[in-house]
Amino acid sequence: MSNVARQDDPASVERIEHDEFDPVGTLALIAFYFAVLVLLWLFTYFVEFLGNVPTPVVVA
Amino acid sequence: MANGDTFADAYPTQARHIRAAFWASFLSLGVGAFFGLIQALHRTDILRVIESQTYYTVLTAHGVFLVISFTIFFLVGVFQWAVTDSLERPPVDMRFTWGWYGLMSLGASLTAFAILAGFTDSIDVSADVLFTFYAPLQAHPLFYVGLVVFVVGTWLAGADWFRSWLAWKGDNPGERIPLPTFMVLTTMIMWYISSIGVAVAILAFILPWSLELTGSLNPTLTRTLFWYFGHPVVYFWLLPAYLLWYILLPKLAGGRLFSDPLARVVFILFVLLSTPVGIHHQYLDPGISEGFKFIAMTNTMFLLLPSLLTAFTIIASMEHGARQRGGEGYFNWLTALPWRDPAFTGMALAGMIFAFGGFTGIVNAGMNINYLVHNTLWVPGHIHTQVGTAAALTFMAGAYWLVPQLTGNRLVGRSVALVQVVLWFVGIVFMTNSMYRGGLVGMPRRTAEPQYEGFEYEVAAGSVGELNAQLAVGGTLLFVSAMLFLALMVLTAFNGGTEPIDDGSIPPALSGPEDSPAVLDNLKLWVAIAAVLVVIAYSFPLASIVSRGGLFGPDIGPIPVAIDAASTVARTALEAVAAVVR
Repeated sequence: MSNVARQDDPASVERIEHDEFDPVGTLALIAFYFAVLVLLWLFTYFVEFLGNVPTPVVVA
Repeated sequence: MANGDTFADAYPTQARHIRAAFWASFLSLGVGAFFGLIQALHRTDILRVIESQTYYTVLTAHGVFLVISFTIFFLVGVFQWAVTDSLERPPVDMRFTWGWYGLMSLGASLTAFAILAGFTDSIDVSADVLFTFYAPLQAHPLFYVGLVVFVVGTWLAGADWFRSWLAWKGDNPGERIPLPTFMVLTTMIMWYISSIGVAVAILAFILPWSLELTGSLNPTLTRTLFWYFGHPVVYFWLLPAYLLWYILLPKLAGGRLFSDPLARVVFILFVLLSTPVGIHHQYLDPGISEGFKFIAMTNTMFLLLPSLLTAFTIIASMEHGARQRGGEGYFNWLTALPWRDPAFTGMALAGMIFAFGGFTGIVNAGMNINYLVHNTLWVPGHIHTQVGTAAALTFMAGAYWLVPQLTGNRLVGRSVALVQVVLWFVGIVFMTNSMYRGGLVGMPRRTAEPQYEGFEYEVAAGSVGELNAQLAVGGTLLFVSAMLFLALMVLTAFNGGTEPIDDGSIPPALSGPEDSPAVLDNLKLWVAIAAVLVVIAYSFPLASIVSRGGLFGPDIGPIPVAIDAASTVARTALEAVAAVVR
């Protein structure tokens, strides 16, 4: 592959090492994901229980 | 690997072997996708080209071709690449390597024949037992023999990779196992532990029963042994996708893997927790105590941990790439990622779908809320977001990078490839949206004709017609996407005289193995702990099942799958109920 113009990530503008990297974007995305999860659980809760009366207690 | 060379330049013989595995995988994908299209159009009553009785032959083929043949042939190809590339050495003996590939091919062919023969009456062979082959449904013995031969082939493949590692270890004493090889070895340990279950189920009970050597079996026992293997097998589909996410995706994003130690911890957790959870597929099975089901649920919830760790590590690695490319802000960095690269975009979309499917998996895993979705269309919805996208789309996207490395040819139609992965994403969103919502209103899975006279599903939003349309449109888009992928692969294979645009190098992790304790590489320790967990989770349930129903069950004969038999049973049951009501 010597004579080919390679795509060595031409968009790369800087080199970031381990100690300089603080993944705040990851934190933001995962926080967003958990918010979505909570909404999905709420939705599932309503699918399961909305409109259903509680289990009747049968008194002998 | 010599820098600047492709894998095919450095290891031509191994590249040929991996290409053979990939072609077997892609052939299965093509056949399985075709059957999927037939199903999507049949059950929605949009186009019925087959009799409804034949639906189960199609369903069996769709399942086995895709989740056994497509996924596992791709897995052995990727794993061979990962081991050879990271240890920088070919297998100890290529004849052995070709030998296990031959066994897998033979096994897959036998099983494929047994299934496909079900389409014709001229051959007295069929296997309309679906992917799970629950007894007392019975297939022709060839079906089971093929599966056994195929699995033995995978066992030998694992032995081959362990041999490579041991040879490497002899030359590199005291060195940490390179991460790709570590992932391969741990995945195979999980596979050895779990596939024992299905091997015992087939060899001790189902195969002798189908050969009429034994007159009966215990269906609860064979089902439990199947699910002992049936949950870990889903990780066997998923972990090669994880390998590509950990090894390849950071590079494609323009960055480096965030943490090598975290990746090792994730794979060890899968070794420990994949197997002692299988009973969560049997929450509604009679004959297994609630307490055992509760233990399985608890173990399953622990299994969320490695997937959440993966979400963090992979997103952080992608973010690292985006920051190096000048990305900024809390969410804006996402725009700095290489979205025009089909390999990157396919994997990123697959990961996104996987994150959503994870939620639906939590629903399935919860003992009480499982009752809401059990055996409804929700479950295939979950399967299609996970193996059908997280694994399948990652494999296709990975192939866009791997196949050029394995052929030395440039990928044909890069922009078409981008359309292909996006098309898959759109198709799966349509189809699984329909499946999940249909499941919530009680539409059954594995049913050729889910419409009933005198009964309407109560769809809260939308309508049954809209759900059917989404399922059919989604299924059709997925089929078109699969065909596009196969066409690009064939064209790339014949694209001689060109060179890939990317080299085969993988950058080192930001935090390497030197940052982690050496105990992570102590494979014997993890095997021992995994074995203890399996014994705790399974010894009591299995003993209980055997003590109640015996090893060979209470005179359970085979059931030929026949509609008239089923309708007779149903009619008799309804008449009995009517008599009671009157």
